[in-house]
Amino acid sequence: MFLINCPFCGEREQSEFKAGGEAHIVRPKQPTELSDDEWAEYLFMRKNIKGVQFERWNHIHGCRKWFNMVRDTSNDQIKAVYKMGEKPPVK
Amino acid sequence: MLNYNHTIKEEKSYQGLQLSEIKPVMKLIVRGKKREFLSAIGKSLNMVLPTKANTSTQSEKLTALWLSPDEWMIFSNGVVNENTNTYDTETILNKNISKLDLGAVVDVTDQFVRINLRGDKIYNLFQTGSPFNFNDFKSKIGSVTQTILAKIDVIIHNQNKNEVNLFVRRSFSEHLFAWMNDSASRL
Repeated sequence: MFLINCPFCGEREQSEFKAGGEAHIVRPKQPTELSDDEWAEYLFMRKNIKGVQFERWNHIHGCRKWFNMVRDTSNDQIKAVYKMGEKPPVK
Repeated sequence: MLNYNHTIKEEKSYQGLQLSEIKPVMKLIVRGKKREFLSAIGKSLNMVLPTKANTSTQSEKLTALWLSPDEWMIFSNGVVNENTNTYDTETILNKNISKLDLGAVVDVTDQFVRINLRGDKIYNLFQTGSPFNFNDFKSKIGSVTQTILAKIDVIIHNQNKNEVNLFVRRSFSEHLFAWMNDSASRL
């Protein structure tokens, strides 16, 4: 249980949100030229680190908007919240 | 509203809390991002859409709730004619918004049920099933929030002091109403 500051609605409880996995994964420009391994790497492989991680979240029971979050996965501390398309604040 | 079955059949009254459905009420969801969209809505309805988060605006006949930066719900303050499914507001908006590709207008009259809560124990009831902090909401008339109540998505609108409108999807309304009655009976 922790509070998340939705960039649109303000501070809300975590149960209103849904985690959307790692953020800033760039889709390959030429998917047809990738090998199966490279494609699988893009599609499935995630860092899942212990420590500060960049994530996508969706305020699914509120404004239904996606946004990015920088979260420390070891203690759930939220370092920053920023909208989609914005530059991540420097770590 | 034609062929319309009510899920909430009765009004309920408790110490400091009254629950009832207001029906039939016209409800529309409008979506759009462009500046022209906002001005076209303003001109067609003679009211401005709230652009500040978690707020609402009201005209004589309509209320507009902020749901998201590009989404609003508009509902009629009073009840509408029960014998038709066409609404002037929707016709006007279809003509001035949808047809001109400025945004989207969706009739959600049948999708949402409007439950009216009155009394000084409203927030004691919400407290039993919602993670939302109602402290600021309570004191600001016109506040809007989308949150969860007993694990059900709801839109809550602070209409007046000790009067709140709650919008819930029709399929969840019967269960939510039963839950609210159960919870209210032991406040």
